[in-house]
Amino acid sequence: MFPWVYDFRWEPTHLIFLSLFFAVLLTLVSLLMLTVTRTVRALRQGTAEAIRWAEDFHDLPDSSKACRHELTGEVARRTCARGFDCRACEGHATFPSAPAAPSPAAVGDPPTADILGFHTPADRLYHRGHTYVQPEADGTVTVGLDAFASRLIGRPDEIFLPPPGSQLTVNGTAWRLRKGTAEVRILSPVDGEVTEQGGDPLGWVLRVRPAGESLDSRHLLRDGEIRPWVLRELERLEGLLSRGPTGISLADGGAPIEDLASAIPEARRDEILGEMLLEP
Amino acid sequence: MDNLLLMRGGRRSPLRGFLIRLAPWAALLTLGIYSAYLILSRGLNQTNMDNRFVFGLWIFTDLGVIALGAGAFFTGALLYLLKRRELKAVINSAVVLGFICYSSAVVLLALDVGQPLRAWFTFWHPNAHSMLTEVTFCISCYLFVLTVEYLPVILRNRRLRQVPLFLVLEFQLHKVMPILAAIGAFLSFFHQGSLGGLFGVLRGRPFAYREGLALWPSTFFLFILSAAAVGPSFLLVITWIVSKVSGRRLMPPEARRLLARISGYMLLVYVALKGADTLVWINWTAPAAGLHPFWFYAYQPFGTWVLFSEIVLFGLLPALILSSRRSRGRWLVPAAATACAGVLLNRFVMTIQTLSLPTLAFDGFLTYIPSWQEVAAFAGILAYGVLVYSVSFRYLPLYAQERRLTLDSKAERHVPVKEERHVSVGV
Repeated sequence: MFPWVYDFRWEPTHLIFLSLFFAVLLTLVSLLMLTVTRTVRALRQGTAEAIRWAEDFHDLPDSSKACRHELTGEVARRTCARGFDCRACEGHATFPSAPAAPSPAAVGDPPTADILGFHTPADRLYHRGHTYVQPEADGTVTVGLDAFASRLIGRPDEIFLPPPGSQLTVNGTAWRLRKGTAEVRILSPVDGEVTEQGGDPLGWVLRVRPAGESLDSRHLLRDGEIRPWVLRELERLEGLLSRGPTGISLADGGAPIEDLASAIPEARRDEILGEMLLEP
Repeated sequence: MDNLLLMRGGRRSPLRGFLIRLAPWAALLTLGIYSAYLILSRGLNQTNMDNRFVFGLWIFTDLGVIALGAGAFFTGALLYLLKRRELKAVINSAVVLGFICYSSAVVLLALDVGQPLRAWFTFWHPNAHSMLTEVTFCISCYLFVLTVEYLPVILRNRRLRQVPLFLVLEFQLHKVMPILAAIGAFLSFFHQGSLGGLFGVLRGRPFAYREGLALWPSTFFLFILSAAAVGPSFLLVITWIVSKVSGRRLMPPEARRLLARISGYMLLVYVALKGADTLVWINWTAPAAGLHPFWFYAYQPFGTWVLFSEIVLFGLLPALILSSRRSRGRWLVPAAATACAGVLLNRFVMTIQTLSLPTLAFDGFLTYIPSWQEVAAFAGILAYGVLVYSVSFRYLPLYAQERRLTLDSKAERHVPVKEERHVSVGV
């Protein structure tokens, strides 16, 4: 039937049929080529982590996406649509702005605050994925799990840290850890380059040299935002623990025990850690 | 053991139990592969088909699964083109079902045609005057589309997502889904129609021969309509079965209602047109061939009860239940299952019953019992479907809202921030 086949004769039906068939085939091949090209370009531009977070954030329940200004009571209800990156949020600028990042001079004499037994020094900045950022005198920042996550996870069985020289992006994967059969990634609170790995997963984990001239911390929680956020996170945790057949619950006003993950049944640990650390 | 491959929060049975449950299906698939080997190596003499009875179990299955698999293109078109967001909850499952149905159809067609080493002849030396050429081209293209649509579902696996290449590829594939959905709808529309169009050239089989508009016999449109009508029903039935087996809630009520409603309305249109088509056949087409229409129903067991069942019991009745706003949830699945059975009955009538009936004066009523190789190949395809779907359900996010729906209702409620906690803001 095809023109290159012996004894072929053109007929209108050939034209219609072949045009349609090859148009479809051409469209399919073009689509695939376009997809592959876009994929290669995205990989070269290093946007994989941004894509991962965009998809993960989309899959999070609304209860996990409350805006920081809802937490502080500045608005009754506001769901974040920016992936917890207030740097790109026009709405954030309209609220009374939070103070700038604590100055390095303050380091060494940190004021401390206990929120339901969680040690949350006020000289640190906090990311919604339960990491803290502490600016150091040499311009780097120390990144680690906050008290909430440390108590929730306890001592992980395995930790996968990025080597020095790795680039981190805000809301990208900072490191991964495994606890029993559960594995979860920890979101990076800053853009920058890893300069050092910490030794203790319950202490500081990474030292990072922020990208740009100085640390842009507009997306990080601080001061008066920390307490309502921790309380909301506790509520989320209570809600998660009270789901399903586990029967585990926290009495109102109580605080999670140390290494709570070990007390959570294996079947639910992965789900709870994932949801609390924003990896649905 | 395979915990890190499972979707987070998607609780599944232990791997050992899962494998034990799949073992009989794997055995059946092995038997199917063996019979396929016999058929392809020794020829079609392994079947009970002959030059007179050329449509057997496989063609019936082909037409059946292609109709049932229409849920993939139809759901995709509704979601991506008509923006019915409710269907996002089931689109992945629809794609997997479509992939299983169409790949099964291609395998069975390959067995039916035989000569696997010359399979490429279909594409290189096609007969442009044959409806089946269009069917072959469309099914091949659409299987390719379905494979591309299935790919991002596979890449969505938790472990695979950790590989940046797969993550980005999945993301980029999602961007072209609306175009793929449009192509899928176009291809499905034509090959479903062309399968029906076959009966416009079957002048030698007056029981199935139909006339229509220009090139297209009435069955061209009826096949499209019936497939589009039962595709959503099949999705409903499979989701219900999987939900019962897994003990998980998979489909939100709004998606279930939408699928049922669409299926019901389309089925109503189909039944109306099928009724009209039957009347035309009774009053004009069959008499024009010199035959009394009810003569065809004189051969038992294919009495008029088949016609009644096809149009009323398996057509009108489920159509009314599915389309009714007052239908209660528990009736929807039986009605959807009945609708699926109806389209299978229609395909059976158009193939097996059509060939059983005599057409010439010296012909007799023929009976056909498939050989064990045919049955084994059919069973193998069934097992293939169960295996692919089971593995997909275990490791891939087939139902977007499974986790949310299965949660304890207590957790569904929003927990308000307590007053005393507001007080502490700003400490």
